[in-house]
Amino acid sequence: MPLTNLSNPLSAESMGLFFKGVKIPKRQAPISLDMMEAPLPARVILPLRQYIGEPATPVVSVGDTVKVGQLIATADRDTALPLHATISGRLAEVTEHLDCRGISVPALIIESDGADSWIERPQEHNDIDSLGPSEILTRIEKAGLVLKALAPIPLGADLIARDQPKTHLSLNGRQVVRRTDTLMVSALDMEPSLAVNRYRAHIHHAELTQGIAALKALTGAQRTIFVVDKHYPPYPQLAELVAADEQEATRIVSLDGRRFPLGLPVPLLKAVLGREVPLPYGHPRDVGVALYDLDTTICLGSSIQQIPQVDSLITVGGGALARKGIVKVRIGTPIGSLIESLGGFSDDPARLILGGPLMGIAQYDLSIPITKDIPALFALTRDETALIGHYRQCINCGLCVRVCPVNLVPGMLSLYCAKDRFETAERQGLLSCLECGCCDYVCPSRRPLVHLFRHAKQQLMEARQ
Amino acid sequence: MTHVKAQGSNEKTSDSESCGFPMELPNVIVSMSPHIRGETTVARMMLTIIIGLVPAALAGVYLFGIRALVVIALSVVTALGVESAIEALTHQRPTSSDLHAVLTGLLLALILPPSVPWWIPVIGAAVAIILGKMVFGGLGNYPFNPVLVAWVVLKLSWAERMGLFFAPHTTSQALTPLMAVKEDPALFYSYELLSLFLGDKAGPIGTVCGLAVLTGGLFVLFKGMIRWHIPVAFLLGVGLFSGILRVINPDIYPSVAFQLMGGGVLLGAFFLAPEPVTSPVTPWGMLLFGFLAGLTTMVIRMWGADPDGTFYAILIMNAATPLCNYLKPRPYGRGHRA
Repeated sequence: MPLTNLSNPLSAESMGLFFKGVKIPKRQAPISLDMMEAPLPARVILPLRQYIGEPATPVVSVGDTVKVGQLIATADRDTALPLHATISGRLAEVTEHLDCRGISVPALIIESDGADSWIERPQEHNDIDSLGPSEILTRIEKAGLVLKALAPIPLGADLIARDQPKTHLSLNGRQVVRRTDTLMVSALDMEPSLAVNRYRAHIHHAELTQGIAALKALTGAQRTIFVVDKHYPPYPQLAELVAADEQEATRIVSLDGRRFPLGLPVPLLKAVLGREVPLPYGHPRDVGVALYDLDTTICLGSSIQQIPQVDSLITVGGGALARKGIVKVRIGTPIGSLIESLGGFSDDPARLILGGPLMGIAQYDLSIPITKDIPALFALTRDETALIGHYRQCINCGLCVRVCPVNLVPGMLSLYCAKDRFETAERQGLLSCLECGCCDYVCPSRRPLVHLFRHAKQQLMEARQ
Repeated sequence: MTHVKAQGSNEKTSDSESCGFPMELPNVIVSMSPHIRGETTVARMMLTIIIGLVPAALAGVYLFGIRALVVIALSVVTALGVESAIEALTHQRPTSSDLHAVLTGLLLALILPPSVPWWIPVIGAAVAIILGKMVFGGLGNYPFNPVLVAWVVLKLSWAERMGLFFAPHTTSQALTPLMAVKEDPALFYSYELLSLFLGDKAGPIGTVCGLAVLTGGLFVLFKGMIRWHIPVAFLLGVGLFSGILRVINPDIYPSVAFQLMGGGVLLGAFFLAPEPVTSPVTPWGMLLFGFLAGLTTMVIRMWGADPDGTFYAILIMNAATPLCNYLKPRPYGRGHRA
C-alpha cells in the first residue's frame, strides 16, 4: 500500500488475509484455557534489569523486611524502571544472577515469610478522564510495566518512542505526515501455542476499558480494532465494547490464530490494515498504529490504579510437564520452583524454553527467574522437539520463500551468512528478518537458518561498533 | 527415565543455596529457536513426488507391457546402486534413504522409449547419478537436472535407438505424434485428441498417458511439494506460442491441445521443470522460468531438430535459473524513508 493513503485513516483496509507463514498443527494449539495460580515461591530472584535499558537502583539493604508491592529499587535514570517486591519477607542477598538470555545482571533475592502481606493499596479510584496524559504515563512507568516482545522495552518508553508525527518521503517522493489514527488491541498471542491473550479475551476485565481509554489518550488514536482468534469464540466483553461505542469507531477482526507469525506486529499490521511497518527498526507507530496485546492493555489499565506489577500471566506447556495451562506467577519465581509447584516433570524434558516453542530461549538452569518480559514456559520432550545435529545442504526447494512473512529469500540469505558474506546478506534484507523461525520450521534440509541470521546480525553489529 | 518427584524434595527448598535446586534437570538441549520443526523432510518430499509419478509409470507398464517395467526397475536399481557405491568409495555419509536416487532413476526411465535394450537405462541412470549429480557434490548442488543430463547423453550417443518407439500394446515400430506431424503436418488430422490424452500413441514410457501424468502432477501440487507457478507458466508458454501459430496458419501448425498432449510437455511441466534444485525459488522467477521453458519448447519443435523439444528446453532453462532468482520479491517495509 502506498504511504499516501495514510492521510485518510479509514482507507485501504485489507481483508485480514495472510497467506505467508506456517500453519501450526492443531496439537500444538492450547487445548484448555484455564487459569491456575502458582503457589508462593520460597524465594524470588528479582533482576534489577528485566528489559532493554539500564538497571534500577536498590533502595533496600540486605536484612530489610519487605512487603508485596513495596518499592525496592527506583528508576533514577531515564531508561530504567522501578522494581517492586513480589513476595513478603526478608531481603536475603544482593548478587549477580543470570537472566533468561544468559546475561549476568544484579539481582535482589527475597526469602519469603509465607505471609504474603501487602503494602497498603491506594483506596481511591481514579477516573481516567481526570488524569492528564503525562500523569497516565508516570503511573505506567511507576508500575514497572514491560512490553512482552522479542526486544522487551519499558512500556512507557514504547508509548512515547514515536510520539511526534514525523514527515517522511513516500515511494513516489511526496511528503507524507502520519499520525497515530488506530489503536489495535490484539488478542492473538505471539505464537499459536501460547494462550494468555486468548484466555484474557474470554474473561471480563474491568481494567480493559481503562487501559483502552489510557492508550487512546496517550496516542490520540480515534478508532479501535480488536484482533481475535477465530478458533476460540465468543468474546463477550469485546462485543460489548463494540456495541457501546456510539461513534462506531470500534470493530473486531477475527483471524486464524493457528497461523504463525500472525501474532507479531509486522505481519499483523499487514494482514489487518495492509500497512507495512518500515523495516528494519520500524515501529507500528511509524504507520499510524498503536499496537498492544490484550494482556498488556489490561496490565496498563490496572497500573492506572497505582497497582505495581507483581505477578504475570504466563502459558505453561509442553509434553514433559505434569500440568499445563495458564499460570499466574509472581515475578522472580525461579523456573525450578514453578515447575515443582506444578507437579514436576511427567516425562524427561529434552528442552526447557522460556517463551514459546518457536521463538523462545532454551534454558539449562532451573534457577533462572520468571521475569516481566517472559510470556511462557515450555518443557518439550524428545519426541516433540527438534534435535540439532546433522543438517543437509540447501536443496533450493523454495519452501522458505513461500513462508517468509517479510518476503525475504531465506535460503539464499543463509548461504551468504554461512560464508561470512554479511554485507551481501544485509543488502538482501537480512536486517528485516523478524527471526520468527518459519523458514527454519519448514526447511526439509533442517538447516539452522535463524541461527545463521542471528550470528550474521551480531557480526554486523560488532563490526559497526 | 529420571522422574522428578516434587513431594519428596519439598523440605530441602528452604535451606538450598541461591542457585541450587533439589530438582535435577536432566540433560537438555540448548540451541537457537525454533525448538519445534515441521514434518517436511527431503525424504518425504521425494516420496511425494515418487507417488505422483506412480500413475504415469503404471500407465506405461499397462501400455507397453513388461518391457517398460524392466526399464524402470533397471534404471531405479542402477541409480541407487551407483549412488551408494560412490558414497562408499569416497567415504561420504550414505544418502540413499532420502530417495532422491530412486526418483532420479524413475524419472529417467519414464522419459526413455519402451524399445530400449537393457543397457540403455543402466548407462543412463549411472550417467545421471555420476555426471548429473555426484560430480557436483550431490543433492542440492547440481546446476542441471541430472535426469535430463542423462537423457541428452543417451540421445546424442545412441540417437536411432532413442528415436525408436512402439505403438501401444505391440512391439511394432511407430512414430510419435510429434515426429509424424514434423514429417507431414496433414497427419495431425489423423489423431483424435481424447485418445492422445488417454495414451493411445507412441512415445516415451511415462509421457504417453496425459491423464496419468496430470493426476500425479496435481497430487504433488496439492501436497505442496511444487508450486503452481512453473507448471502454469510452462503450459501457458507452450499454449500461447502454439495458439498464435495455429491462428496464423492452421494448415501447417497443429492445435494447442495437440502440442500440450502430443509429447512430454505435461511430464516436463509437472515433474522435470519444477525439480527443486534446478528451478528458481522466487514467484516471479518461477513464472519467467516456466514461461521461457514453454516458449523454448515450441521454438525447438517448430525449427529445431528434435520433434519434442521439452527436455532440451528445460535443460537450457536450468542454466538461466540463477538469473531468474534475481527477480526477488520486494521485502516488506522496503522503500520507506524514515
